[in-house]
Amino acid sequence: MLGKLLKHEFRATGRTMLPVLGVLTALVVLANLVVRFGDQIISRYRLAAVLFALIVAAAVFGVIAAEVMAIVVMVQRFYKNLLGDEGYLMHTLPVSVHGLIWSKLIVSLVWIFATNLVIFLLGTLSVVNLGDLSVGQIMTGFPSAEEIREAMAKLGITRMDLWLLILEAILIVLCSGLITCLHFYAAMSLGHMFTQNKILMSIVFFVGINFLFSAMGGILGTVSIQFNADRFFMESSTVLDGLRQLRMMMNSMLGYSLVQGLILYIATALGLQKGLNLA
Amino acid sequence: MAILECKGLSKRFGSVQALDNVNLTIEPGRVVGLLGPNGSGKTTLLKLCNGLLTPSAGEILIAGAKPGPETKAVVSYLPDKPYLADWMNVGQLMDFFADFYGDFDRERALDMLAHLNINEQQSIKQMSKGTREKVQLILVMSRKAGLYLLDEPIGGVDPATRDYILDTIIRNYNPAAAVVISTHLIADVEQVLDEVVFIRNGQIMLQSPVDAIREDKGMSVDQYFREVFKC
Repeated sequence: MLGKLLKHEFRATGRTMLPVLGVLTALVVLANLVVRFGDQIISRYRLAAVLFALIVAAAVFGVIAAEVMAIVVMVQRFYKNLLGDEGYLMHTLPVSVHGLIWSKLIVSLVWIFATNLVIFLLGTLSVVNLGDLSVGQIMTGFPSAEEIREAMAKLGITRMDLWLLILEAILIVLCSGLITCLHFYAAMSLGHMFTQNKILMSIVFFVGINFLFSAMGGILGTVSIQFNADRFFMESSTVLDGLRQLRMMMNSMLGYSLVQGLILYIATALGLQKGLNLA
Repeated sequence: MAILECKGLSKRFGSVQALDNVNLTIEPGRVVGLLGPNGSGKTTLLKLCNGLLTPSAGEILIAGAKPGPETKAVVSYLPDKPYLADWMNVGQLMDFFADFYGDFDRERALDMLAHLNINEQQSIKQMSKGTREKVQLILVMSRKAGLYLLDEPIGGVDPATRDYILDTIIRNYNPAAAVVISTHLIADVEQVLDEVVFIRNGQIMLQSPVDAIREDKGMSVDQYFREVFKC
């Protein structure tokens, strides 16, 4: 059933997000062209400078708007589809609450990452001066796989170390996205357990969860640094030592993120399972 | 086995007792009218049966099981408010129902849509309130469910459509299934009911076959309702 939920979720959110990403792409590409070739036109038509400035400003605004839109769609979809009138249909489907939550979570993550990927790719395109470089020349700027292997061997870094580092970095990014979504979901789900002032209670829970996790993070961070001071503050004599310290920090962050994610997920599921109060 | 069973069911909203110790059994093959004045607890009872509210006390069993994904597969529920995404058209809604409900009969839905002159390509937001209600009812009644829970199914439609809808309910429901119709338009639904449940202030006052009311009280259900709930 998750596949079917995902299909309908993509259909519902794609109506908003695909045009947003399309407009964003068009604006940034246009702004990029203006920056590259605008000077030649401005030298002939001075008024074009105003138009070009507006296009660049629109592109910057578009980047911010797209980021905001991805979050707004994520929040609005959960609220309207599960806690509003549409919830009468969604909660009477023969699917579990977990299916409903995961479908929202996966689709929101996809749109958030798609938005950031588009911004990253278009941003990269903007800074690379394609007029001066060919693709081959760009690639020569990067070390070859053989060079990377040799450098790693010299530093004593195994292939496994590198893959684990990449995997951990990906997991941290994924977890931060999950926590962002679940933070909103848990607050709304708990807030809607009340029969009155549901939106106000959702905001109270959002702020409360934020405060709780900040306090927990602060306490856990201080305690773990005190108990592992020798390892955290040891002098990094080699690149390998630095890498180990980095991975230790990343693992701590990952562990803490997973705990946060688990708490938020349980709160969301319990709110929908045990405290559903559709008006 | 009873298709719907409520045992000591209560629901409280803050200081308001919406349902109070409701004990109710609905057998398969019956068309039951859940009748009561506004605010008597009809909608709350149906929402509880669908797992849309959590009981404060008591238990609900659908075909012997507590409400969950398995029971939702056999219950076809029509809420008393618009609940379909307004950007979807009728065709997309039929796809949605067919995807999730194995008992959805598309042919039956298309037949009813044709009878009521509703275009498959029309989106919900382009429809009048009455047409939206018709679409909701068509989707719900196009399932071959074990239990239909219909909350005010004829409240917002004209008398001619009302007759068609009631006829549709009777024609389309599986004889082994039960239909619970919550309404206060008793005169209109009386003709299709086998049994009635009177509810007031969250408590069941009466559960009786329609024929028994006619024979014992010598009046129609509508007349008896007016007498019992006289203000």
